[in-house]
Amino acid sequence: MRKRAIILNTVIGFGFFIVLLRLVDIMVLNHARLCERAKMQQLKGEEVQVRRGTIFDRHGRKLAVNLELESLFCDPSEITSAEKSAYVLSEITGKPSKAIFTKLNSRGHFVWLERKVAPDVARKIKETKIKGIGFVPDAKRFYPEGSLASHVLGFVDIDNKGIEGVELKYHDSLSTSGGKFVLNRDASGKTLSQGVNMESRGNNLVLTIDEGLQYMVETELDSVMEKWRAAAAAIIMMDPFTGDILALADRPSFNPNVIAGSRDFERRNRAITDCYEPGSTFKIVIGTAALEEKIVSLHSTFDCSRGSIEIGRRVVHDAHRHGVLTFEEVIQKSSNVGSIMVGMKLGKERIYRYAKALGFGEKTGIDLPGEVPGLIRPPERWSGVSIGSVPIGQEVAVTPLQVLRAYAAVANGGFLVTPHVVSRIVSPGGRTTWTFMSEKKRVLSQKTAETFKDILKTVTEDGGTAKGAAVNGNYVAGKTGTAQMIDPRTRRYSKEKYVSSFVGFVPADNPKMAMIVVIYEPKGQTYGGVVAAPAFRQIAEKALSYLDVPRKEGRKEMLVSAQ
Amino acid sequence: MKIDRRLLKNFDWVTLALIVLLSVTGIMTIYSATRPPLPGGEMPSFYIKQLYWLFVSVFALIAIVSFDYVWLKRFSYGFYAIGLFLLLAVLFLGRTGMGAQRWLNFGIFSFQPSEIFKLLYVIAISCYLSEMHGRVGLFSLLKAFFLLAFAPVVLVIKQPDLGTAVILLLVFLSLMAAKGLQKKLIALILLIGLVSIPFLGNIFWEGLKDYQKNRLVAFLEPQVDPAGIGYHINQSKVAIGSGSFIGKGYLKGTQGPFRFLPEKHTDFIFAVFAEEWGFTGSMFLLFLYLSLILRGIDTARKAKDEFGGLLASGVSFMFTIYFFINIGMTLGIMPVVGVPLPFMSYGGTSLLANFVAAGVLINVRMRRFELFY
Repeated sequence: MRKRAIILNTVIGFGFFIVLLRLVDIMVLNHARLCERAKMQQLKGEEVQVRRGTIFDRHGRKLAVNLELESLFCDPSEITSAEKSAYVLSEITGKPSKAIFTKLNSRGHFVWLERKVAPDVARKIKETKIKGIGFVPDAKRFYPEGSLASHVLGFVDIDNKGIEGVELKYHDSLSTSGGKFVLNRDASGKTLSQGVNMESRGNNLVLTIDEGLQYMVETELDSVMEKWRAAAAAIIMMDPFTGDILALADRPSFNPNVIAGSRDFERRNRAITDCYEPGSTFKIVIGTAALEEKIVSLHSTFDCSRGSIEIGRRVVHDAHRHGVLTFEEVIQKSSNVGSIMVGMKLGKERIYRYAKALGFGEKTGIDLPGEVPGLIRPPERWSGVSIGSVPIGQEVAVTPLQVLRAYAAVANGGFLVTPHVVSRIVSPGGRTTWTFMSEKKRVLSQKTAETFKDILKTVTEDGGTAKGAAVNGNYVAGKTGTAQMIDPRTRRYSKEKYVSSFVGFVPADNPKMAMIVVIYEPKGQTYGGVVAAPAFRQIAEKALSYLDVPRKEGRKEMLVSAQ
Repeated sequence: MKIDRRLLKNFDWVTLALIVLLSVTGIMTIYSATRPPLPGGEMPSFYIKQLYWLFVSVFALIAIVSFDYVWLKRFSYGFYAIGLFLLLAVLFLGRTGMGAQRWLNFGIFSFQPSEIFKLLYVIAISCYLSEMHGRVGLFSLLKAFFLLAFAPVVLVIKQPDLGTAVILLLVFLSLMAAKGLQKKLIALILLIGLVSIPFLGNIFWEGLKDYQKNRLVAFLEPQVDPAGIGYHINQSKVAIGSGSFIGKGYLKGTQGPFRFLPEKHTDFIFAVFAEEWGFTGSMFLLFLYLSLILRGIDTARKAKDEFGGLLASGVSFMFTIYFFINIGMTLGIMPVVGVPLPFMSYGGTSLLANFVAAGVLINVRMRRFELFY
């Protein structure tokens, strides 16, 4: 009996020892791993509706803010009377009760019934005290200025995800530090606590846009569109030294607050996403190249008296007949014949090289989505008539922004800048976390820039193509462009459809702004000097006052006397 | 009935204290396991019911210890017959729960006859063996098996309640061993055991229900499908592992109330306890069970007669087997078979039966000095 008891106790003791070992294994050795698993399965992440950062203009005026609304959801498992609830909700929201009923009857624990409910509707729904429905705070993006700068700002979708413009490009910054919001849950996935309602705010953006200038640009665009019954138009205003985009607007336009009502072509940011044949504004390439390569001086002469030039089988005409022109006059009067002669002196390699150097055929790198590089063919792909086209801005595809940037290089003494719309990212706490660092690349010598600037100044003076761009009290340097559009049906230059443009900067000797005005398909008149140049002046006049740029009385008197 | 002062002096307070301590711990753990996950939620009444059953069980224990266990011998086969009848009744009239028919419903309460039967079974076998002379040979083993073990094992398997059937067999064999086996029989059992091991698995496997097969698969490879059949084991390990050394603290456990752990207040109550009381608490609990078992074996050794010795052995074996199967399952070292942890798991019949069984132990111990009348 005793022996058996000892054996028995040994067996039982052994059993307890094994249990003990296993407990050590689970509770001590594997503790961390199992603990982690417990935590993982008890938590569920839920996307936080991050409060997007506010977008400010360069002076701190709000361009995009959040409206604090609430969204209605239901937990179908807790709905007691789906039919009755659906009816009541339908009465209040005006949505079909059948659709609501379907949602109330769906599976799972969380179904959106309606996003971003208006406050008075939300209040009525809360008064019904229906079981199983609830509200969560949900911010709606709101653009206080409506369509103002809509192509820069872009817009967001119902989940506040950036879809276009700065909202898209800087989505991560605007909605940063949000991520997940952690809730306790039970085995069936049911939420057991409200979790920590982490108020999560994204970073704010400070744009380079100046709301005041933007407004002037937008207003002028509207009147231009009306006056010329144009198909489209785009204006960009930039600080030529820093690349700060001060204003950027396109027509047609849209209101980002009612994005559902807008169409694709209205949301298109033509200033950077559409290519056009620039025409004469492209003469900056042969102009600066010829000066830089010292092929011409201001007083080199070109015989343009024939009014046309034959390149292969093609005959290129001047708009007006000129006599023998100096180099300066070729640009001032925008002589195609003279420009082609300069171009032929340069040769296609150098034309191509300078075009690339001035940023054509490449993206400018602006911080907006959808930019296109345009097209400039390498010399080996030029045809026999190309030397008669490229110098005068044909056979090339550019964006308005590229042209503006090239002229800004003349304005700032020879540097290619990076255009940008966001100057700073500021944390919710007010700390600047990122600042745009301007990178400048010298593409023209100081001398060439100064000389070409002087030529451009003559464009807006007597004898120039753009007297309409002249501003009281300040010199305007600029260039007109009138380009025929390719008719997509005939694949030839259209006789009716033109792109009229003017690009320039003011005050010429100490530029505060560079601006391009591009008007697509104006009716009645087509010349850039007639259609686009006055729009430039209208904006520039107001903008210079707005920017407190002093007027030179002498200049004014001179203009007055000239008139 | 007059109570002998010497009886009172010899009363086994240690065993009583152990089982009351275990039961109260059990009720506390049931409370924690079934508490609502959110404050303000409705508290299920499991712990209250278990408390009522504890009072009933204590009275039943007092009733059992108040007369000499020798009397049991007289009624042992009668009790056995009643128990067998209840097992039969449960097959035809029983309430089905979780895929098995284990409960008899008496309107205000329902109970599991198999829980009651185990004790009657131990009493009957002890009685049978105590009247046998000498060691158990092959023939007497088979005879005893077919007389006493075969019918209940078949009936319990029919329910189906594999866990209990295995326990009935193990209790039978261990009681035979306690009586003493002939050397030839020991040799034969070892031989049969060795030879049949390769075949045993197959025969066993074919006879299993699907859910029983799944449990075995889950036991062997719990990671195969964590949300499916291996879920019980994984969640149990997660709960125990979360406990760490000192535990999360009472009412701080989450696996039970958040319903990750199935059968949290019944079969897997140890996991809930371990999560809250940690390694130290679990060690203490193991110590209580070990003490209870060793004390029972000590009682068996000291019993005044062979019947008492066998009775105490049988009860102790039963506690031991239940404990190891349940803890083994909870710790993932044995297959999941629905077996409660004695004294702690929720379940009135089980608590009552275990208290009565412990009462038998106490009865045997307190009367160990008495002579035959």
